[in-house]
Amino acid sequence: MSYGDADVEGDVARTDAVLEALARREPVSGTDAAIRLLGALVADVDSQRLSSVSITPST
Amino acid sequence: MPNVTEGCVADAATGVRLATRSDESDLRELTSLAVQGDRTAIESLLGQLRPMVVRYCRARLGRVSGQYHIADDVAQEVCIAVLSALPRYRDMGRPFASFVFGIASHKVADALRSSVRSAVPTQDLPDGPDEGPGPEETVVRYIEAQHARALLSRLPDTQRELLILRVISGLSAEETGNVLGMSPGAVRVAQHRALARLRQLAELESIA
Repeated sequence: MSYGDADVEGDVARTDAVLEALARREPVSGTDAAIRLLGALVADVDSQRLSSVSITPST
Repeated sequence: MPNVTEGCVADAATGVRLATRSDESDLRELTSLAVQGDRTAIESLLGQLRPMVVRYCRARLGRVSGQYHIADDVAQEVCIAVLSALPRYRDMGRPFASFVFGIASHKVADALRSSVRSAVPTQDLPDGPDEGPGPEETVVRYIEAQHARALLSRLPDTQRELLILRVISGLSAEETGNVLGMSPGAVRVAQHRALARLRQLAELESIA
């Protein structure tokens, strides 16, 4: 593996760690504009309660 | 045929993740029971899937008049469509989630095409004091979320779907790969490229 490959793999792993944190609704710090925007969308989507579906026998 | 009704509140921080690797087989068994008409299995399966479907629809459709009523209605339609299709579902080796998000993708596309988004729903009266963020923070978040949606809509379809499923719906790389027909490794590389593209679009807009 060349240094470049390792570098790219490291970047891919770091991106995965950040996206995983966002997916788990864990706080993510940093100045990355794309991450900040995705974080804002996550917060907005989660800001209104999520109703659940219940299945009841029909009468 | 069971009735589908609005039920209790699911906390936003829970129910994000569909299944870990260890309980994927449990989910498959649950799906199998649900397909056979087991009411408890159906309810449990929908209980796991619905929060992710709601988040997916909200991320794709956004708010109308400040509310997610339309997106939530579409999510409800997805759940009803899944319920209706359950007896005909055949396990072909792909996870049930890919079947569900396939339906969700079509329902969202239908909603985007229709004029239903022009409806103006009224806001529910709060049951108690609002403990959420203040108006300034809410507006900033709203603007940034709209900006995120606009930039996501400019990504190629696969990259947009990947980021929404992975981040907003909260699926793992494995689950996202299952839905999109990719290996977990391919998901990790593709999401890295998608994020780079999103970053590039955001930077271009800030310069313009």
